[in-house]
Amino acid sequence: MEKKRIDDYEPGPLPSPRALDRFGFFKQDVSASDSSVKNRSAYEYERIRGERSVRKWRKMIGVGGSDWKHYVRRKPHVVKRRIRKGIPDCLRGLVWQLISGSRDLLLMNPGVYEQLVIYETSTSELDIIRDISRTFPSHVFFRQRHGPGQRSLYNVLKAYSVFDRNVGYVQGMGFLAGLLLLYMSEEDAFWLLVALLKGAVHAPMEGLYLAGLPLVQQYLSQFEQLVREHLPKLGEHFSEEMINPSMYASQWFITVFSYSFPFHLALRIWDVFLYEGVKIVFKVGLALLMYCHDDLVKLPFEKLLHALKNFPEDAMNPDTILPLAYSIKISKRLEELTQEYEKNGKVVQSEEHLEKH
Amino acid sequence: MSYKVDHEYDYLFKVVLIGDSGVGKSNILSRFTRNEFCLESKSTIGVEFATRTLQVEGKTVKAQIWDTAGQERYRAITSAYYRGAVGALLVYDITKRQTFDNVQRWLRELRDHADSNIVIMMAGNKSDLNHLRAVSTEDAQSLAEKEGLSFLETSALEAYNVEKAFQTILFDIYHIISKKALATQEASSTSVPHGTTINVSNMSSNTGNKACCSN
Repeated sequence: MEKKRIDDYEPGPLPSPRALDRFGFFKQDVSASDSSVKNRSAYEYERIRGERSVRKWRKMIGVGGSDWKHYVRRKPHVVKRRIRKGIPDCLRGLVWQLISGSRDLLLMNPGVYEQLVIYETSTSELDIIRDISRTFPSHVFFRQRHGPGQRSLYNVLKAYSVFDRNVGYVQGMGFLAGLLLLYMSEEDAFWLLVALLKGAVHAPMEGLYLAGLPLVQQYLSQFEQLVREHLPKLGEHFSEEMINPSMYASQWFITVFSYSFPFHLALRIWDVFLYEGVKIVFKVGLALLMYCHDDLVKLPFEKLLHALKNFPEDAMNPDTILPLAYSIKISKRLEELTQEYEKNGKVVQSEEHLEKH
Repeated sequence: MSYKVDHEYDYLFKVVLIGDSGVGKSNILSRFTRNEFCLESKSTIGVEFATRTLQVEGKTVKAQIWDTAGQERYRAITSAYYRGAVGALLVYDITKRQTFDNVQRWLRELRDHADSNIVIMMAGNKSDLNHLRAVSTEDAQSLAEKEGLSFLETSALEAYNVEKAFQTILFDIYHIISKKALATQEASSTSVPHGTTINVSNMSSNTGNKACCSN
């Protein structure tokens, strides 16, 4: 139905590479020479740093990941430190599969993905199709209607909706799948999604998408509490201005920062997220608030909400915001809050807060 | 929100944008608040927010609009935003019958979670795709009459009737509010004891942040 609109605007031949950033996204504003110069030098720096790091990483994982498990057992702290510095882009896809446990799932379930894609039908098919062109629409791989990117995205999401009919398809999952597909094959992306949602290594994330979005509600309530404890002045300001985390942070949790954050930052967060789990989402969230704290505490409701959805460019620099995030210690408190939340009325808390509006 | 007296406007009205996923809610919002239409828009996750200030019968009215994710499962988050809303723009897609059939379910949502006298405008969006129409204007009109809703067909793409849809909502809300204000004024003036000065300037500034319309 939307054919007319979309086809009219479909790019014909491949766009010139200069219109794309290094991840394949169409540049927002090509004329902004200022920032492209900055990006360029940042890119060079990363490249040099990258070459050294790639050599170390190759040693660490061995051929096709053969030495990985052994290495992690022997030197978990080295692994953690290197992941926090960023996985080299050329090895990212492989390493993600190793640290998420998805590689094992794939090996244990030969032929399952194909079965799900080809033979099964899903009640979510139309919902998935409706959102396909609305997932990373500014990325060259996903932009072309019925192109390979859109087809893979559809297949992975459909396969998942059949694999777990309770979850089915929920908006937001497409951004996870899309991000993964830029680094691995359909089948690999599917199993990584399974590893995350079913909890191969960390706590399962499927509660983010189940009916009632229970895990979203839990995370938002925990995040609100952490803000009050770590940034009391801002926490106070938020409650005075009636800002609730569901107004700005639901996307952070539902898509693990892949929905609207600069891609280079999202990738770095994902590196850590896959190895250390969801607490990095809380940490980055807190780090962003901390970094912008002095501005945020001065803003009234509307401007505040705008600022919380549009962080300044310097806050989006992974080498600024991630070290700050790592410095925030929340593991123990987060566990306590989880237990408290499970004991208490769960959903009630977040609803009560909005009641005040 | 904002109970504080703000001299930028006389009234603050909270309006929610609801309707099935993919009907064009976010583009209606961006057309109304920024006069933009984005062909490559992403699906909305959670809630988005924008405002616009305009004049209604000589008063400055600020519309605070909450755009919500359309997928059913998101109602767990979005329905909380119906509370305190004085207006709703319920959108369907004229080229997708299902989105019109679901209007009843959205009305039920509003009845369950929103204020009972919320002003509702139903908008049949994507009127530029008339050749793909799956919902006739007459069907929509008769539903609107039956349910007591205002109704317009809109096109966010062509900037058709978007302005009018919001203006109608805000105008209707304004009328309800000002009638109420008048009634309150009359009621209070009869009960004011002799010798009490009624401070008119205070009253007029209070109208800007009545609990019933501003939060």
